[in-house]
Amino acid sequence: MNPRFEDLSVGDELPPLARTLTRDDVVRYAEASGDRNPLHLDDAAARAAGFPGAIAHGMLTMGHLATCLTRWLGGPEGLERLTAPFRAPVFPGETIVAGGRVRALDPAARRAELEVWVTVEREGRHEQAIRRGTAVIRFP
Amino acid sequence: MNEGLDGKRYPEVRVEVEAELVRAFAQAVGEREGSVPPTFATVPEVAGLAQVISDPELGLDFSRVVHGEQSYEWRRPLRVGDVLRCRPRIEAIRSRGGTGFLTVVSEITDVEGEVVVVARCTLVELSR
Repeated sequence: MNPRFEDLSVGDELPPLARTLTRDDVVRYAEASGDRNPLHLDDAAARAAGFPGAIAHGMLTMGHLATCLTRWLGGPEGLERLTAPFRAPVFPGETIVAGGRVRALDPAARRAELEVWVTVEREGRHEQAIRRGTAVIRFP
Repeated sequence: MNEGLDGKRYPEVRVEVEAELVRAFAQAVGEREGSVPPTFATVPEVAGLAQVISDPELGLDFSRVVHGEQSYEWRRPLRVGDVLRCRPRIEAIRSRGGTGFLTVVSEITDVEGEVVVVARCTLVELSR
C-alpha cells in the first residue's frame, strides 16, 4: 500500500531498504552512469587518494536511497527534492540500509519533508554514509 | 583550483533517455523496471560535469576528488524518450585549510526548454 498524505504523522519512519553492494554492482553503476572515476574501480587509485581500497560511488548510495523512496511511494511521481550529504565511504562487499523519517508536514501544499539517511554497518558500528539528507515529497 | 571561475558556464550536452540506458541504470540502483529512476538525472549531469572536471583553466586535481554532497530538484519525473539538455555552471569555488570545494549547478531541460530537474553537485578536492 502506498502512503496517503492523510495517514502520515511527523516521526513516521519509512520501511528501510537494505542492499549489499558488490564490486560488480559498482562496475555496473560506473557503466550505466558514465562516472568512471578510477577511485571507484581501481584500488591503487583509491589508495593514492587516501582510502584503503576502491569505494562505491556516493551516487550509487544515493540511487539506492531514491529507490527506497520510490518503493515507498509506488513510483517517482511526487518526489520533488532529494539532498544527500556524503559523510562516509562505502566499500564493495558492505551492506547499506536506506531509511527516513517524516520531519514536517504541510497540509496546504500536501507536502512532506523527510530526514533521510543511509547507514553502513562496519566492525559492529553503524556509520552514516548519507547523514541528515532531505527528501521533499508532494502527495496527490 | 582557480577561484576566479565562479559563475563560469559550460556548453550544453544532450542525452536521450533511451529505454536500454534506463534499464541498465535501473538495475544498477536496484529500481524496478517500468519507470525511470529519479537519479537517472545523474547521466546527463555526469556528461556535463566532464567538461568542468577537465577544464584546464579550473586546475582541479581529479585524482584527489571525492563527492561531498548532491541534490536534485525535480519538476517532473523523467520519461523514456526525453531528450535532455544539460548546462553546467560553476556556482561556488572555495577552499578551507588546503581542501577545495567546487559546487556545480546543472540545469537539465527538455526539448521544449522546460526545466525537468536541477542538479547541484559539490566536489571536494582533498588536501595533499
